Amino acid sequence: MTALAPLATLSRRRFQLTARTPRELLVPLVTPMLFALVIAPALKEALHTGAAYEAFVAVGTVGLLVPLNTMFSGLGVIVDRENGAQRELLAAPVPRAFLVLGNLTVALAVTAFQIVALILFALARGIHFNASAAGVGWFTAAAVLFAIGMYGTAETLANRVPKQEEYIARVPAIAIVPWFLAGALFPITALPGFLTWVARFLPLTHGLALMRYGLLGDASGLEHIWRMSNATAMAALSLGVVAVFAAALTAVSIRVFARAALR
Amino acid sequence: MIEVQELRKVYPGGVEAVKGIDFEVAPGEIFGLLGPNGAGKSTTIGMLTTTIRPSGGTARVGGFDVAESPLAARRVSSVVFQEAVVDRTLSGRANLELHARLWRVAPRVARERIAELSGALGIAELLDRPVGGYSGGERRRLEIARSLVSEPRVVFLDEPTVGLDPRIRHELLEVIGRLSSGSDLTILLTTHYLDEAERLCDRVAVMHEGRIVALDRPQRLRHALGRELVELRVRDDLPATLAVLRAHGIAAEDAFAVGSTLTLPLRDVSAGEAIATINDLGVASAISAREPTLDDVYLRLTGDRLAPAA
Repeated sequence: MTALAPLATLSRRRFQLTARTPRELLVPLVTPMLFALVIAPALKEALHTGAAYEAFVAVGTVGLLVPLNTMFSGLGVIVDRENGAQRELLAAPVPRAFLVLGNLTVALAVTAFQIVALILFALARGIHFNASAAGVGWFTAAAVLFAIGMYGTAETLANRVPKQEEYIARVPAIAIVPWFLAGALFPITALPGFLTWVARFLPLTHGLALMRYGLLGDASGLEHIWRMSNATAMAALSLGVVAVFAAALTAVSIRVFARAALR
Repeated sequence: MIEVQELRKVYPGGVEAVKGIDFEVAPGEIFGLLGPNGAGKSTTIGMLTTTIRPSGGTARVGGFDVAESPLAARRVSSVVFQEAVVDRTLSGRANLELHARLWRVAPRVARERIAELSGALGIAELLDRPVGGYSGGERRRLEIARSLVSEPRVVFLDEPTVGLDPRIRHELLEVIGRLSSGSDLTILLTTHYLDEAERLCDRVAVMHEGRIVALDRPQRLRHALGRELVELRVRDDLPATLAVLRAHGIAAEDAFAVGSTLTLPLRDVSAGEAIATINDLGVASAISAREPTLDDVYLRLTGDRLAPAA
């Protein structure tokens, strides 16, 4: 057995628990489905925009899907602590970080499933993506790193609040408010000046700009952030921002979990 | 197998839950930590199972320091928690298999152990049902089976029978009693049920307000109070009555009182003689004689009653 075998065991356990709670899979899927199938076409109609705007919004919807799904996954941490086997896992001869990472791998897998579903809905709706292999790579890297960072946020919050109710009350501020500021529905330059500056510091802004660069070949989001002309350099910088966000929040979440577990 | 020296725990806010305790548990021994809620039993188990960080002192489980080598200490031990700690939506078998994999038990060995333990604990028929549908006793049996799947050298049982009805509790005590017979399995259990400690434990440590106030075999702790004792409800002033009884050689230095009830361990007089003398003195409204219990030991040491009869 390898040193990572316990991590695989913990991931498998989380997957078994998630599979027995279909709402964890399906509820976060409802919102992006609504966006892709109903709201994006309606916006296009009402705002007299073109197919490009539908594609813009479809990618923007990923920026809502990832936080919603990872925050839902964080609820599992509280359920584990209140009514599950968390204490048994804490008494197991595995590093405590594995407990966080085991949950993270399943949150990532579920999120990936939902993003693929969203893209398929969009394609079925006739939305056109203009992605090269490298573009898919940028998109995937941005989505994965942003999801890791958001799961770190969810795990940290779950270990800081005592009850599910308090956790859920904080979800809108963490998952939804940044989405409105990060250029999901309109470019960040359309925001009032100081909010444009705020948006430039949000990991989601960088993630969405990267995803659009990768999937639509549109570097305007990156230009609005960096005001540079070299798209690859801007993409690399934004990827760095999202990577730092992922690494920092993962480290924080492991530390907070370990401290909460070891009284 | 378990060595504890000067172990302390001070929680944030300054509450000192464990105040420098020392004890050792030999291989194959069943050792009880006895005390009321708040005595420091669960905190002690938490430190030994590495879920609570000690503030001072040392503790070794299976030869491994819990602070310096927590993974190694956890590898040789298992815990049965006071409350249900299971994945309720998973089957009993999935819960057992999870434990086996985390403790690195080879799959074939795990299958054999699960079959053997589930048969021995009478849960074989339930194993493929979700644990959420188990009764309290069934779930507790499952948790005991789970703790043994990895063939640990030490099992910690934190209040293993609390909340169970008397029949299930009786059955479970039999199961626990059988666990260590003929094996080197060391068991440390906490309880506030006196009969449980007397029935199961080779030795008990009585805890009170974070300290161990007595540690010995249950029988020897009881016999330290003499072979019999007399309990009387005092009619008037308790100190004055005690002085009278001392003057007549009925009460010794180890007499103790709770409210208006005076308990007199007897050494040099029989219960019959003591009762006759007390009746002649007319100082008691009710008198009875009985053998000492661990409750009396605890009362003598702390001035508090340990627990209502289970």
